[in-house]
Amino acid sequence: MTYPPGNPYGQPQGNPYGGQQGNPYGQPYGQPQPHGGQPQPYGQPQPPYGQPQPGYGQPPPGYGQPPPYSGQPAPGGQPSWQPSTLNPHTLPDDDNVNPYVFCIALTGGEWFMSKGAMLAYYGDVRFDAVTEYSSVQAWVASRFSSPVYISDWVVAQGHGKLLIGDRGFDLNSYDLDDGNLTIKASNLCAFSKQLELKQSIVPGFVTLIGTGKFIASSNGPVIFVEPPFRADPDALLGWADCPSPSVHHDAQWMTQNLRGMISGALGRASGEERQYDFTGQGTILLQSSEVAREDPAVLRLVESQTQLLTNSQAGSLGQRLIARAQQQ
Amino acid sequence: MPFETVNSKVVRAHVSPGTPVLARRGSMLGYSGQVAFRPVHGQGRGIGGMVGAAMSGESNPMMATEGTGQVLYGHKGLHVTVLELDGGAPLVCEADRLLAHDATLQTSVQFLGSGGLKSAISGAMTGQGLFTTNVHGRGAVALLSHGGAFPLQLQGQQIGVDPQAYVGHVGQLTVDLAAKVGFRDVVGRGSGEAFQLRIGGHGTVYVQASEKKF
Amino acid sequence: MALLTAHKRVLHADLQGDRIRAASGSMVAFEGNVDFKSSGMGGGGGMRAALKRAVAGESLSLMDCAGHGRVYLALDAMDVLVVDLAGDTLTVESEHILAHTEQLRLDVQFAGLRGMTSGHGLATTTVTGHGQVAIVSEGPVMALEVAPGADLVVDPDAYVGSRGQLSMNLVSGVSWKSLVGEDAGEPFSLRFTGSGLVLVQSAER
Repeated sequence: MTYPPGNPYGQPQGNPYGGQQGNPYGQPYGQPQPHGGQPQPYGQPQPPYGQPQPGYGQPPPGYGQPPPYSGQPAPGGQPSWQPSTLNPHTLPDDDNVNPYVFCIALTGGEWFMSKGAMLAYYGDVRFDAVTEYSSVQAWVASRFSSPVYISDWVVAQGHGKLLIGDRGFDLNSYDLDDGNLTIKASNLCAFSKQLELKQSIVPGFVTLIGTGKFIASSNGPVIFVEPPFRADPDALLGWADCPSPSVHHDAQWMTQNLRGMISGALGRASGEERQYDFTGQGTILLQSSEVAREDPAVLRLVESQTQLLTNSQAGSLGQRLIARAQQQ
Repeated sequence: MPFETVNSKVVRAHVSPGTPVLARRGSMLGYSGQVAFRPVHGQGRGIGGMVGAAMSGESNPMMATEGTGQVLYGHKGLHVTVLELDGGAPLVCEADRLLAHDATLQTSVQFLGSGGLKSAISGAMTGQGLFTTNVHGRGAVALLSHGGAFPLQLQGQQIGVDPQAYVGHVGQLTVDLAAKVGFRDVVGRGSGEAFQLRIGGHGTVYVQASEKKF
Repeated sequence: MALLTAHKRVLHADLQGDRIRAASGSMVAFEGNVDFKSSGMGGGGGMRAALKRAVAGESLSLMDCAGHGRVYLALDAMDVLVVDLAGDTLTVESEHILAHTEQLRLDVQFAGLRGMTSGHGLATTTVTGHGQVAIVSEGPVMALEVAPGADLVVDPDAYVGSRGQLSMNLVSGVSWKSLVGEDAGEPFSLRFTGSGLVLVQSAER
């Protein structure tokens, strides 16, 4: 078995389906990037937010370049696909290992981390529940001011290299410089302790404020767009600098589709009847819409808002929810 | 050419009054410009198409996108393959593989295979999706697949394809549904997978890297 | 001789009159004259191995692919990696095995985790011999080196396999346990010591 050290992982030489039409593997996305040794800022939508790339969705320069291939041919003369061999010294500091894995270098400091994001680690690393940690360290409570999410997060501290991932989704790191960015809570994987986390007014979203780094996942590469833009709630990953969105109901859709009109009142039928409407200046982050992940915090969030209801209103809401649960 | 590949899972359509787009309902990720969406019922033209759709369960809810603007389409993080049809041989695929296509393209429902009515019924019973959609005309189609679709070029030879992994095909191809002895134990993970598609002729077959249907 | 080549999420198995074994249901297409036949549970070893496997709960259903032609194999759109073995042993979780050439032997090995009561991870599959084995993973596999002084802790769900002189222990620190709370996040982790490589995938499932 051979694992040539420093061999850029992935990438069989040439195009596996050479020259054939409609080749999805010819796209820059998803292709293993040169790594292992030469940390390259690939995969980072290094906050083009604020200065969005013209022609959103395009890979940054140097993204799709074929990596230098230095693999040894496997028996049979075909280049074999070998992973890079990594150790604590060759793992990058606070950078992507591949499009789906990010490596945090812990040097005595603390990171907030989503429970379950840990894939592996080298060194001496401790994980503490934020709830427990905040009673000891006052700054934690002040940074993590999102009680709805607190039970889903841990504080990682110590010395070592920590590898994180999220369901095999693309991971991107974002550097905030005295800025703020709002992101879907279930896509946020980790953030440095210099940043402050607050609940957004839009359910299911959180806002990061300050100067520091955070890591968030996306289904497929992040797509950057500018307002005016209307986004499907499921495909919306986040936004920066622009005002919080308003909800746009597509009148034409609702009048033509009775079903959409009814379900539009208490939920959503297909997504075309209701969008988040962005205006002003800023950047919107989109992902390929996902099978919605069950976010336990949303339940807590909605439940806390039922305080606004009177008792009889709460009762009728309960009945409607039971009816919906039985329908499914 | 209204479809632009944004990444492997998302396409962008440039919609203008002359070039409306038909897309799977719920697949719109976002848009800019003055665009309206309108549900479309009864895919497939004519009575035959409607009957076929009702019979096969191939009534994939679609919508029309009209107006002027740019619209992003994607579905559940599935991979998207854009194909250009030249007006020659139609694209044959299962209806739920269609993410979006030029509204000028025509669709109709067809029974895939040559076993006649009896096997059509048994096929429908096993839920093998033997009813497929034909896409005719000149224009662009965006197809969904789990993990990406790879093309297999046929130049007269015959290949076997797992029906679960079959995405679609273009060209002068014959498709037969073969129930292979012992195939059930081997290839199928659950029930009703005792079939494979035998495809021969000249053309391109698209296969996905997964046995997962959606 | 049969040749396995990985093409991102699809494995090409080129057969020249010989046979390979592949996970049941993993054939997505084939060209040429290829016969598929269930070969039952993974690996050889007869009755005793089969029994051992049943006890260990490490089940792997395989099929024989024999003939002339190319078979396209894939599992759930997972990434494919081909590992060449030259007489050494690869330890791999059975659900990550996509295919292997005929000369390789599959066996079940008890991981020997003391104090483990749950079925998970009690046993793993070992692949030994000269040939090729194709493994699948959510996203590309990382090969993480373990050396004296560089222990590695891995989430059990991200663990794919390993090779080398390694020993595996469970870690479940006090703090770790406390954060499991209501629903299981990571109830325990695997700590590898010794020297070798651990294969880790990029998703925790």
